[in-house]
Amino acid sequence: MCPVAETKEAPLIELRGITKVFPGVVANDDISITLRKGEIHALVGENGAGKTTLMKILYGEYKPDKGEIRVKGQPVRITGPSVAISHGIGMVHQHFMLVPGLTVLENIILGSEPAKGGVLDTAEARKKIEAIMAANAMPVDLDVDVEKLPVGLQQRVEILKLLYRGAETLILDEPTAVLTPQETNELFKTLRALKEQGKGIIFISHKLDEVIEIADRITVVRRGRIVGELPVQEATKAKIAEMMVGKPVLMEIPVPEVNVGDEVLTLEDVTFVEDGVKKLDGITLTVRSGEIYGVAGVEGNGQEELLKVVSGEYRPTSGKVMFGKQAVNSLDPLRRRRLGLGHIPADRQKQGLFINMPLYINAVVGWQWQDRFSRRGILNYKNMRTTAKEVVEKYDVRTPSVEVPANALSGGNQQKFIVGREISFDPTLLVAAYPTRGVDIGATEFIYRQLLEEKSRGKAVLLVSADLDELLTLSDRIGVLYRGRIVKEFSREEVTPEKIGFYMLGGREE
Amino acid sequence: MFNIWYFLLRGLQTSAPVAYGALAGVYSETGGIVNIAIEGMMLTGTFFFVWGAIAFKSWIMGVLFAILGAVLLSILHGIATITFKVNHVVSGTAINLLAMGLTRFMSMQIFGMETQTPVNSYIPPRLFGINILAYFYIALALLTIWIFRRTRFGLRLRSCGENPWGADSLGVNVYAYKYAGVILSGVLAGLAASSLYPNQWIAEMTAGRGYLSLAAMIFGNYNPLNAVLAAMLFGYAETLRYFSAQIPFLVNVPSTLIQSFPYVLALVVLAGFLGKTRPPKADGVIFEKGED
Repeated sequence: MCPVAETKEAPLIELRGITKVFPGVVANDDISITLRKGEIHALVGENGAGKTTLMKILYGEYKPDKGEIRVKGQPVRITGPSVAISHGIGMVHQHFMLVPGLTVLENIILGSEPAKGGVLDTAEARKKIEAIMAANAMPVDLDVDVEKLPVGLQQRVEILKLLYRGAETLILDEPTAVLTPQETNELFKTLRALKEQGKGIIFISHKLDEVIEIADRITVVRRGRIVGELPVQEATKAKIAEMMVGKPVLMEIPVPEVNVGDEVLTLEDVTFVEDGVKKLDGITLTVRSGEIYGVAGVEGNGQEELLKVVSGEYRPTSGKVMFGKQAVNSLDPLRRRRLGLGHIPADRQKQGLFINMPLYINAVVGWQWQDRFSRRGILNYKNMRTTAKEVVEKYDVRTPSVEVPANALSGGNQQKFIVGREISFDPTLLVAAYPTRGVDIGATEFIYRQLLEEKSRGKAVLLVSADLDELLTLSDRIGVLYRGRIVKEFSREEVTPEKIGFYMLGGREE
Repeated sequence: MFNIWYFLLRGLQTSAPVAYGALAGVYSETGGIVNIAIEGMMLTGTFFFVWGAIAFKSWIMGVLFAILGAVLLSILHGIATITFKVNHVVSGTAINLLAMGLTRFMSMQIFGMETQTPVNSYIPPRLFGINILAYFYIALALLTIWIFRRTRFGLRLRSCGENPWGADSLGVNVYAYKYAGVILSGVLAGLAASSLYPNQWIAEMTAGRGYLSLAAMIFGNYNPLNAVLAAMLFGYAETLRYFSAQIPFLVNVPSTLIQSFPYVLALVVLAGFLGKTRPPKADGVIFEKGED
């Protein structure tokens, strides 16, 4: 990547001394950054560091308490997204802002529709969009319901929305979090093309490899403050990670060698049909003790159903689910827990916690039936509190006490709490669904260590994740899920991200 | 003798309030506001119709008054649900209760009678023996489809019902469009009231037609034309009972069975189809700006 030529031109965007305070938290503390034309400026930092808040201020979704925004040298007041758009600033949110039930074309023009007397002029819109698509080699079918597109194309639609509005500054918030490696490559091609045309791009991420690959300049944010800015030539992963966390981070976690033992979880030709659709289609897999089995795949290819069939929330339409040698098809989740199932669920807020209840109750849910917690239906709060305190201490959960409700904790601490709870009850089979989703680097490293520790202790772990790095770091074997089938299984030795990506997108062996 | 033409016309008339009511629901829910207050809006509209028609000696004033009455309640529903973020069903229920009391109170104040008004002779003209308003709802449904698909207003209204945060991020004034949807819902509820029984107001005379409208809307999967066709299915089912004595195979069926037919039909239809409908994604969801 060549450095951006110094120009006398005023920068595209200048943020000066931006401060934003939410009740109890300083989200942004006197932040100043600039963005030049034809530059990709990466903003990195842990979750909750204030990156998204800063960008929402630039996009007019939040009002700054202090500070100034300049666009091409002119001070401006951005009071809402429409004002931002009129200044040529566009944002692709982490959670897409597409409108389901509307076509791709309708999504792109919404809010800036060409119209005669209130009647849409779709012919003109189509011409304009097709020109943009051709110029940037980013084709999408304009007439399908946007809901039906794969995630990579949905993101492309988001970018088209911005270009359609003539955006010169593009803010991309964690754009690769949902993409396969191939889709990420496609996105990077698009971004480089846009850069060539002189657009400025702010790229928010905490995937350091990607940042180093695509960015020209990197700014690191920690706890609402800028801790440093460096050109990409000077950046290394270790250096950025240290700046992000504030202490050296061990990037490579040693994977213990463990002898695998007996089969703990076996699925035999498991099929699950919902509304006439085969969500799971003849899945056969085994997870043995001392082994982490990773499940890769684009979301929506049967992960949710696979997890529920294992946890007992769904009964398979046909096939067999076995814990050890025991068929458990007809057992509900509680009975399966009694047999030694631990479950870190996909959605910690909805399934992992009773979000408004105190930690001492959350510490025992799933095991509340044990004698030490309830006798003849009467709860033993003393033992519950003791258990909660053990979990909090042993798993480094940052909380004022075990009396606070679960929603008083940050996402990362909620997740550490759930991981701790599930492990502390010593399951023989641990199901971990997206265990580090939305969790920062420090907590991620901690959770990885816990999962590997479980493996060392001879437990079986079924890991479902959308994060390929995570799967590659932890798994002994990886199965790729595509349209409800395990289309390919890899061992640790033979796997690469590209190989997984190939099968995730429905590739077949020659 | 069973006269097929007379049956078809009567059915068209009987279906009218439910059909307009279903369209009222479509406008509101397309913008993401659940509107179970259609029953109350319709009831208020029926009183306002008679009041306006008698006071100004004009059926057109009656229609305008009916719309006014229903719109006032729809604005109330909008203020509650959009501005003050009240749960849509709670607000709707409150408005339905309010409408029952309000109409009786106004009837007492204006006509000195609590449960009915004097007979009103300023009614909409009749064409082939039925209320002229009964001829417009199918066209209105088609017009609505065109508005939703082809106009800027329609596109934005739909976007507010599907993903208000997405619409907001593109600078669409979500609150304004939601209000517009609810208020248009009120206008349609006013037309529903005007096509019910313009000759007199009687307490609780809508008798659940507002709810039947919602059933038709859901059965029609929130599509204006299908909602109206569903309303006509209910309407014609109800019409059958007036003709049962003339239709040979219905003569021996107990009349209570025939009377309950439209409601049983509604139940069966909803039980059978409810799972397969696709309501707007953010229907009934409270929208607050600046939320993720």
